[in-house]
Amino acid sequence: MSYNKPIPTPSPLTQPFYDGAKEGKLLLPRCQDCNRVHWYPRHICPFCHSVNIDWIEGSGEGRVHTFAVQHRAFGGWAEEVPFVTAYIDLNEGDRMVTVLRGVDANDPASIRIGAKVKVEFDQASEDIHIPFWRVVEE
Amino acid sequence: MGLSKAAAIVGAAESNEIGYPEVPKTSLDLHIEAIKNVSNQTGIPISAIEGIFSAGQSSEIAEHLGLHPKYIDTTSVGGCSFEIHVHHALLAIYAGVIDVALVTHGENGWSRRRIGAGGGGHYAGGGAGSPGTEMTMSYGFSGAPSNYSHAMVRHNHLYGTTPEDFAHVPVVTRDWATLNPRAVMSSKETHEFGGPITIDDVQNARMISWPLTMLHCCLVTDHGGAVLIAKPEIARSLKTNPVWIAGAGENMSHSNMLEMGDFTATSAFASSHTAYEMAGLGPEDMELALLYDSFSITPALTAEMVGLAPRGKGHLLWKEGHAAPGGRLPMNTNGGGLSFNHSGMYGMQLLVEAYRQLSGTAEDGLNGIKGKQTNARTCIVNGTGGSLSTTGTLVLVADD
Ligand SMILES: [Zn+2]
Repeated sequence: MSYNKPIPTPSPLTQPFYDGAKEGKLLLPRCQDCNRVHWYPRHICPFCHSVNIDWIEGSGEGRVHTFAVQHRAFGGWAEEVPFVTAYIDLNEGDRMVTVLRGVDANDPASIRIGAKVKVEFDQASEDIHIPFWRVVEE
Repeated sequence: MGLSKAAAIVGAAESNEIGYPEVPKTSLDLHIEAIKNVSNQTGIPISAIEGIFSAGQSSEIAEHLGLHPKYIDTTSVGGCSFEIHVHHALLAIYAGVIDVALVTHGENGWSRRRIGAGGGGHYAGGGAGSPGTEMTMSYGFSGAPSNYSHAMVRHNHLYGTTPEDFAHVPVVTRDWATLNPRAVMSSKETHEFGGPITIDDVQNARMISWPLTMLHCCLVTDHGGAVLIAKPEIARSLKTNPVWIAGAGENMSHSNMLEMGDFTATSAFASSHTAYEMAGLGPEDMELALLYDSFSITPALTAEMVGLAPRGKGHLLWKEGHAAPGGRLPMNTNGGGLSFNHSGMYGMQLLVEAYRQLSGTAEDGLNGIKGKQTNARTCIVNGTGGSLSTTGTLVLVADD
């Protein structure tokens, strides 16, 4: 079945991320001057305002910072409710957002802030692979 | 003369119809009705307006009114835009650039379902070419509730609070709405689900974005409102009572919720600090609080940020009855965005209620409908826009 949810359109700024995702790698922007990782990709480091930014391969691991359960959604996501959305603290620093996998949306009390998560990628189109995060055993 | 009280709100009015009009309204229509009403209320002719402040529509409105304003501000940063407009108008008047400013709002949040936005107010979020939007668009979020829920879950985690704790906010706010016949949810006559509600009603309502049920979320209605602000010499010469802008501040912590470092803290901490400092007043001096209630979590968090409650304990103002009718600190006395009216951007509704309370006209009402007058002489108004992103805080005081 073809992918029926929103697919991002890369810009020159974000293209390297998708090139990595296609190979199953989570590439993250890192400032060459202050060494900090930031997310989302930027033209300038939000911490020290350097424009010297390169991409590093992240561990693909992090922790759940907070979450919610969506009972109302639009488009392709409407068929998936209820589903869990979450903000993920990356091991490298800063935060990504995701639809969280490996959890029971009908039992939010069982979902734990701080749970360990790993990234995986869904192929949305020929060139676009989208990261999702899954709760894994400690 | 300092910046504090360099200008006053001299009138505040709404469009003739708000809520769910039978005949659909355009946003422009809602603007113009409110502007006409505030001009009549104050006796300030529309031709005397020198500065125009709106969330994105100032040029269209000025043209519609046949004005050539010498100060134009279209700041559009979500629901707090209007508190920020008041701040900007204070500065423009203090600087002597203008003497009379119009802050105006028209938004057909309800009618647009039938006739489209049609020049409606719009919040300028990220679009194509915005990497923040690009990296969040794939995950099924559907507007504000789907984001704000994450803040409540984080608050529960950090402070041991529960969704039921926050359910007291809509229950108490509904009690205020029952005292305001103009509130959408005032009674069974205004809406089939109107009238008082219980904690169980809130918790058993349809789930939107767990832990937020529908009754933790604001309404979606029509609203128009307008406020006139003038320099002291003019303010003292009018038939209406001035409400003095003692302090004003604005701030933002992020635009995209991805960048919200602490999900239980907002920029209202900074914007209120600025406003209190300008006013020479503190949270302990506030006798009324109008805190934007897009969701139950919003005013509770804001109360913590503006110093009305300790961190993690904002919800207690409602749970212990302090914010309720007859409580020590009346809050959201119009019935709030939760039960009075919320058109998408609610900052103007806050301004209108603040003016009514501090000018002593809540019982006279605007548009001939009674409200509920409190004895408050000081009021903190805080608007919150975006995803707990941008805030504008005003400290307003009644005329001596
Ligand atoms: Zn840097």
